[in-house]
Amino acid sequence: MSDSQSSLFAANPWLTLQIDHAFAPFHLKVQLALHAPWTVLFGSSGSGKTTILRALSGLFTPDVGSLQLQGEMFFSRVASKPCAINLSPQARRIGLVTQTPALFPHYTAAENVAFALRGLPSAERNKKVQLLLQVFGAELLRDRFPHQLSGGQQQRIALARTLAAAPRLLLLDEPFSAMDRAARLEVLNNLRQWVQQRAVPVLMVTHDLAEAFTASEEVVVLENGRVVAQGQAEIVLHESRAQLLQELGVAPNAAHSPER
Amino acid sequence: MDIAALLLTLRLATVTMLVLVLLALPLAYWLAHTRWRGKIFIESFVALPIVLPPTVLGFYLLVMLGPQTALGRVVTHLLGHPLAFSFSGLVVGSVIYSFPFAVQPMVAGFAAIDPALLEAAAVLGSGQWDTLHRVALPLSRGSILAAAVLTFAHTVGEFGVVLMIGGNLPGVTRTLSIALYDQVQDFSYAQANRTAWLLLIVSFAALTLLYSQKRTRRLV
Repeated sequence: MSDSQSSLFAANPWLTLQIDHAFAPFHLKVQLALHAPWTVLFGSSGSGKTTILRALSGLFTPDVGSLQLQGEMFFSRVASKPCAINLSPQARRIGLVTQTPALFPHYTAAENVAFALRGLPSAERNKKVQLLLQVFGAELLRDRFPHQLSGGQQQRIALARTLAAAPRLLLLDEPFSAMDRAARLEVLNNLRQWVQQRAVPVLMVTHDLAEAFTASEEVVVLENGRVVAQGQAEIVLHESRAQLLQELGVAPNAAHSPER
Repeated sequence: MDIAALLLTLRLATVTMLVLVLLALPLAYWLAHTRWRGKIFIESFVALPIVLPPTVLGFYLLVMLGPQTALGRVVTHLLGHPLAFSFSGLVVGSVIYSFPFAVQPMVAGFAAIDPALLEAAAVLGSGQWDTLHRVALPLSRGSILAAAVLTFAHTVGEFGVVLMIGGNLPGVTRTLSIALYDQVQDFSYAQANRTAWLLLIVSFAALTLLYSQKRTRRLV
């Protein structure tokens, strides 16, 4: 991450979020302020990560909460009242890439990427689609239909389709899960460049420790519907890493682990 | 062969099919997506013609659209003639009688669309109409075609409603199925046989079209 980039984000949180929702017996209750341009939401399955992303994108309405992006409130609700503010998913302009890519099966890869670009003249639209396919190494896939693509290829197209809509915030829900390690790093690097150039903040969900370390400036650890830690990966994921290394039969190097 | 009856039958089936596809589409889309609990009453009401004897439906339509009711008088005034014993009356009866055959395949088609696709469209900024047009309709094309073919075939084969509402006026309300009935009454078995064959062929062709489309539908 470049220094000029961090200064864009450092002063005020770009996202403040408060969600309180009971899905008996599970209770999601989180409060967060995010400053880092790329934050990882880390936690095991069922810890509430995906629900947070769905609430942010407007696909899910919490019982109580408030969501504010770059100073603009787009959701606000107090207990047992109708929502005071609740922008539609369309109006929020928040990009969401889900784990299952949900590509439109009746459109080619290029048409999927162009989905949000309908208002543009066709020459401009084609140029954008071409560029985004290039960013994700998918130029050769442009005329294929989703069922002719592998899981990893579908995820590349889903990323390109979401970026085409020029989101103000990018939410990623394990978007590289079907890619091998090499592909994952390549896509992650290109994606990182793209969002840095456009100063689009990213909130990424993962339960993959390596991904949390490589991707993020900041990690939020979620356990059973609660935030249990927030900070640099080396610090908040220190224990998880030590545990993983032990399971792999590698002694964690105590000299390199930071003071807690 | 009764060409007038054949043409009338095909005209009735075509008009009924077009009206039904237009009416059933929004209703089916709504039924497939609403969480309103009262929708079971709407669903039951829509399905009624499947279980009711067509004569019951025909009888009520005849009464409701006749000069005894306000609705009937308004319709008569607007059209300049009573609905009963006219082609438009047949269309009204056929539309109601075949309503479930249009709505149910469409509801099934819309409900089978992965909700993740509709959510993806919403998050990409696509409004409800746009999503209907670019995602839901193309993905349920097969079901809409099924609805169209079924309503067409069902109308071709309808008898009770037509007889009750339309009577038996040659060239106006006398469809193939009624012509067949007349021919049998007159002991014209050779003629009846030709009419019956015609009905059989039209129905078989419609169903063949339906199944061939299902086979070639793109995997989604």
